[in-house]
Amino acid sequence: MARSPAPQGGNPSAPEEPAAYLDMPADRRAAAKAHAASLSRTAGKVALELPLAADVDDFRRVLNTEARP
Amino acid sequence: MIDLAGLSARALAKAIRDRKVSSTDATQAALERLRACHELTHCVITLEADEALAAAKAADAAIAAGRARGPLAGVPLAHKDMFDRKGKIASWGARIRAEHPAHEDATVIARYKASGALQMAALHMTEFAFGPTGHNYVLGHARNPWDPTRITGGSSAGTAASVAYGAIPAGLGSDTGGSLRLPAACCGVTSIKPTWGRVSRAGAMPLAPALDTIGVIARHVEDLALMLGFLAGPDPRDPAASAVPVPDYLARLDDPVKGLRVGVDATVIGDAHADVQGMVDQVLGILGKLGLRRAACRFPDWQTLDHLVQLVQLPDASAAHAAYLRTRPSDYGPQVRSRLEVGHFIPAVDHMTALRARGTFVKRTLDDTFKDIDIAILPVLADPLPTIAELDVAGGPSLQAAMGRVVKYTRPVNYLGLPTLTLPIPRSSGLPNGIQLVGRPFSEAQLFAIGQAYQREVPPEIARPLTQASYGASV
Repeated sequence: MARSPAPQGGNPSAPEEPAAYLDMPADRRAAAKAHAASLSRTAGKVALELPLAADVDDFRRVLNTEARP
Repeated sequence: MIDLAGLSARALAKAIRDRKVSSTDATQAALERLRACHELTHCVITLEADEALAAAKAADAAIAAGRARGPLAGVPLAHKDMFDRKGKIASWGARIRAEHPAHEDATVIARYKASGALQMAALHMTEFAFGPTGHNYVLGHARNPWDPTRITGGSSAGTAASVAYGAIPAGLGSDTGGSLRLPAACCGVTSIKPTWGRVSRAGAMPLAPALDTIGVIARHVEDLALMLGFLAGPDPRDPAASAVPVPDYLARLDDPVKGLRVGVDATVIGDAHADVQGMVDQVLGILGKLGLRRAACRFPDWQTLDHLVQLVQLPDASAAHAAYLRTRPSDYGPQVRSRLEVGHFIPAVDHMTALRARGTFVKRTLDDTFKDIDIAILPVLADPLPTIAELDVAGGPSLQAAMGRVVKYTRPVNYLGLPTLTLPIPRSSGLPNGIQLVGRPFSEAQLFAIGQAYQREVPPEIARPLTQASYGASV
């Protein structure tokens, strides 16, 4: 059985940097990651209290059923 | 002699219909005011004088022949440059724009045309509507007609500046995180950010569709009511456009407001600058005079709402721009580019959590926050009107914090999707600012009735450049 060719360039075992395709200086990349991490902490807390059945469409359903035209 | 600049669109339409002024003369005068406003504020992206005058001439002929149709027949208006118009390419405030001329009008443009209104210009906006201050690093910054060193607010900057200056009585804008409310407050005029889904977004530039809301900026609340009346309603081109019946907003403008309860969340408002808290108190005093009763209320944790709305908005916007951000990054201004990059670092799970939690948070807000109130009052800006230089942060390290402070009171309301009326503060001699009244879903008629009563106490103003001595060195 033929072996797959070894990946060219870079370290194949290193995890790929998120959004590596974006041309960003290191300081801006670090700031974006820090901001996303801060938001992620909130998402984690909210997720703990969210019912499994919560649905994206709940939002529109609530607006329409609670309408006060 | 009619003061055309000070008229509401509704009053101007009546004057044209009654042939007290021709549409051609009204349009010519409006074009002159718009040119002067542009000199001061940089409010215009494309002026369409010849087309507007030709349309005005046709409107005059139709009126003379008794064929004029629509509540705004012959009225010259102008709108934010983000709506499809057949045969034209909207700028979206950007260097990167739609590749081809539009095949058909955006639904809101089609509905304006059906109202008989003319369009004189496409107006300034923040690049891709993704900025709350009126800074635009590609096309140039917008300047406030009250003080050109100050921000207009964004992203519907040109509409608000033109309305405040008296160049137009009203115009279209959009709001994803505050883009109708901030410019209205900064320029001292009114706006309606309708309930999410009240107005079709078909043919409008998308920023973050889960939050995008099309609305109106005007000096007179009656124009907000008139225009939302024909803009709202279902649309087969936008499945999110709601089928909830559209009331006759004009007929309900004088609904009684006495006894309505206005909620005050002291904790949330307490984070605003002391001067802004004073403005809220001042408006509460006026609402009290109108018979509204003040009551305490408590929103869900404000920072949680602010984080959730970012978790919805940032990946939504980044996804729309994913291709261009990779292939043409240098064609973006530094601020928008930096903000669009952040969405790429937000995990899909967090984005979906924020979307799935939205119904729960809206229900909680209605059941708890609105349990004993009819509307809630909030500042629009957390601070007195900033200068353009103070917020000239481009894509630098203070960007997130600076923009976060500007949208502190607006962005979380987009997560809830609730309708919001912006009213200017009484501006005895100082710089403009505004407050927002947040209502229950689809309660725009009630908000308009309150706004109409408020404008009997605080009449609309035309902006005129103030000297620093007239508004004091402290602001």
